[in-house]
Amino acid sequence: MMKWNWKIAGQAGEGVMVVSRMVAQLAKRHGLYAFNYLEYPSLIKGGHQTGQVLFSDKPVFSQQRELDVLIAFGKAAFKEHVKEITKKTIVIYNQNAGDLTAEDTNDCQGKIINLPLNEFARRATKTKLATNTVAFGITTAIFGFDKKVSLSLVSEAFVGKGEEVIKTNHAAFMLGYEAILAELSPLHEFKVATDNQVITTGNEAVGLGALAGGVQFYSAYPMTPASAAMHFLADQQKNYPLIVKHVEDEIAAINQAIGASYAGVRSMTGSSGGGFALMVEGLSLAGITETPLVILYGQRPGPATGLPTWTSQADLQFILRAGHGEFQRVVLTPGTIAEHYELTKLAFDLAEKYHIPVFIVSDKYALESHQTWQQPPTEVEVKKLSYMADKDLSADDSYLRYSLEAEDGISPRSVPGQPHGLYISNSYEHDPSGYATEDADMTRQQTEKRAEKYNGLIKEIPQPELIGPKDAPTTFVCWGSTVNVLKDLVAMTDKVNVIHLPCVWPFPSNAFIELAAKAQRLVMVEGNHTGQGEQLIRQETGITFKENLRRFDGRPFYAEDILNWLEQ
Amino acid sequence: MSNITQQSIQSPITPTWCPGCGNFGILGAIKQAFVQMAMPEENLVVVYGVGCSGNMADFNRVYGFHSLHGRAISNAMGIKMANHKLKVIVVAGEGDTYGEGLNHLISAARGNHDITVLVHNNQTYSLTTGQSSPTTFKGTATKSTPDGLIEEPMNPLTMALAAHAGYVARAYAGNMAQLINLVKAALNHEGFALVDVLQPCPTFNKVNTYQWFQQKVYDLDKEGYQPYDQRLAWEKAMETEKIPVGLFYHDPSLLAYHKHLSQLEKQSLLEQRAEKISLEKPFQAFV
Repeated sequence: MMKWNWKIAGQAGEGVMVVSRMVAQLAKRHGLYAFNYLEYPSLIKGGHQTGQVLFSDKPVFSQQRELDVLIAFGKAAFKEHVKEITKKTIVIYNQNAGDLTAEDTNDCQGKIINLPLNEFARRATKTKLATNTVAFGITTAIFGFDKKVSLSLVSEAFVGKGEEVIKTNHAAFMLGYEAILAELSPLHEFKVATDNQVITTGNEAVGLGALAGGVQFYSAYPMTPASAAMHFLADQQKNYPLIVKHVEDEIAAINQAIGASYAGVRSMTGSSGGGFALMVEGLSLAGITETPLVILYGQRPGPATGLPTWTSQADLQFILRAGHGEFQRVVLTPGTIAEHYELTKLAFDLAEKYHIPVFIVSDKYALESHQTWQQPPTEVEVKKLSYMADKDLSADDSYLRYSLEAEDGISPRSVPGQPHGLYISNSYEHDPSGYATEDADMTRQQTEKRAEKYNGLIKEIPQPELIGPKDAPTTFVCWGSTVNVLKDLVAMTDKVNVIHLPCVWPFPSNAFIELAAKAQRLVMVEGNHTGQGEQLIRQETGITFKENLRRFDGRPFYAEDILNWLEQ
Repeated sequence: MSNITQQSIQSPITPTWCPGCGNFGILGAIKQAFVQMAMPEENLVVVYGVGCSGNMADFNRVYGFHSLHGRAISNAMGIKMANHKLKVIVVAGEGDTYGEGLNHLISAARGNHDITVLVHNNQTYSLTTGQSSPTTFKGTATKSTPDGLIEEPMNPLTMALAAHAGYVARAYAGNMAQLINLVKAALNHEGFALVDVLQPCPTFNKVNTYQWFQQKVYDLDKEGYQPYDQRLAWEKAMETEKIPVGLFYHDPSLLAYHKHLSQLEKQSLLEQRAEKISLEKPFQAFV
């Protein structure tokens, strides 16, 4: 396995994030696998920002700390990352930001190459905005990528901005490309390769999965890290019978989605913790009215506004318990970006079949990082599930929306517009027709009807997955995005395996107990302070963990750190 | 497909409102309006708020959605966008609409969503046994404001005008004939319509009684008022000595929200639901 780790650091507004995605895309077009991790503060201009790409000839799923190449746009950008520099690291420093002093470079073991990046940009384009394009040229040359591919990526990035912009950016690219070749020989030589991969963020994969799941209505209020799912879908309105509604608040978001779903279209909303907190009453409404609903939940650190642009897994117990009263829900916790696609598609089927809310729980780390993944088939089918056909609605108007004669609690629904399907969808407890009731027997029976959905759901949910050698001495357990880091750990050592939970509710107890029973040493890994996944496992299986790794500083886990922990 | 009749819309449940409640008149008027409009019964959706008004949900046999307190407008907007061929009316109280869910009223009006919002405005919270509401007069002593309400009452009509509503009316539960006409006209208006209905609560509101209203209300129509000038509408809406009822403002030229959406040009979203979907286009952006 060959792998390379590249990083770029600068200030917000310097195009760091754009070029970082392009580098990942460049690697992909050479048949490689890539992961692109972005860090940025919650502001528009200024402030430290980084993009880092790990790419390899074998699948990679997470970011790595030790760098092969660092491009620093300024002094702060350099100093912030000195600890990630090793003897083999090549550092490209933008000398237009002021020369590095001996003191600055004291702790630097790598090879520093000073280049006037801003000046190159100005020379080619008259502004320093193209500094990131210069950096892209440097990157292409250092790794020995095919510059034709890079230049076409530059053209794609500026499509619609005019020929002149493309031409001058190509010139900026070449200045960087040639300047670095005067200093060193390429580390490698990559050949263009046809690949069948795509490269997306988690948000984009969720959006694609939603399209594959037949989404027709998405209502939301912007909130990092879920906003980009709305942006992606908003842009798809031109291609699909889809309405994306940016609403006045999250309460409206969930309630409009519930309304649209009641009227018969597949509907979704999305937010982060603070926004979802406002949706909680609506969740309960979806529960009692038995209205299908898909919810994207992008975690970030709380409480309250917390750390808006960083990552977290601290809302699991909130999501499991959210909503007053008792009703069924599914909580999907995709790991890889490909899994974000697959499980979002599945979420729509589960929601529609069982008339319940289904969560896709992710976090800033997975939703805003890019990963390469195998492109799935582009032609998909969407079945109509648990609806009354027109012909089955009897002319004597005897249809009962909330009939108690319902297999696994599923009573097929009619939608407005269908003759003889009239009923009231009720936030109050109701009888089989939907009319409100306070009758004790009916209350018990309707509660049981809704609860019976569990019996079908437990057979349909995604099962825990064992990754790595079966008899490894240490088994790490995780849910959601953490599996990305642990997959990379499995590639580093044969002494570990991983149990990944792609669905935590209903909890797949039998399958989990079976896998856990074979483990020699169980270690829980999750991104919160109180061990929320651990609590859930103990509650559902009685299994307790003697060891755990918990991170709650807004940063993701690193496979290298876990390996060090293991070896100590 | 059959049109709504007085018999077809009758639910098996008898209204549970207090004797003398203004809701009886409003229910009668709404039903009459639906019947007169000769609508197929499956093409109407009534979305109810929570309160005495929302309890009407059990007394109509329609496609209905009994929402949460304050959220009926949001549900209604979602329903209308999903299937704009439906007639969608919200039946809610002033607590729902001007208190808990005011944000949604403003958004629905600004967006000119083609829904009619009928507000039972009895200036008190009745189902929760008599607290002040957003339209209770200043100084009124209620269970929640025993020393008298400090806030000024809000004015739903000027609020709706400020939010660019294209149909703004006020009715009185004691005048059924006018209410029927206003509801019909609101439903026929392709865009957002607010019908604020003044009504007595004989149990908890001892001030705004039938007798009080009879002395206060006067009919805008009979004054020869023309409802096409926003400034005039604003002036009329600010009157408090006497209470004008009728249509304050109407602008039929405004384009409804769903008419702006090119994806709805030919068919409703619901009609466009596909069994086979191609993802070729969106995936192209990620190679």
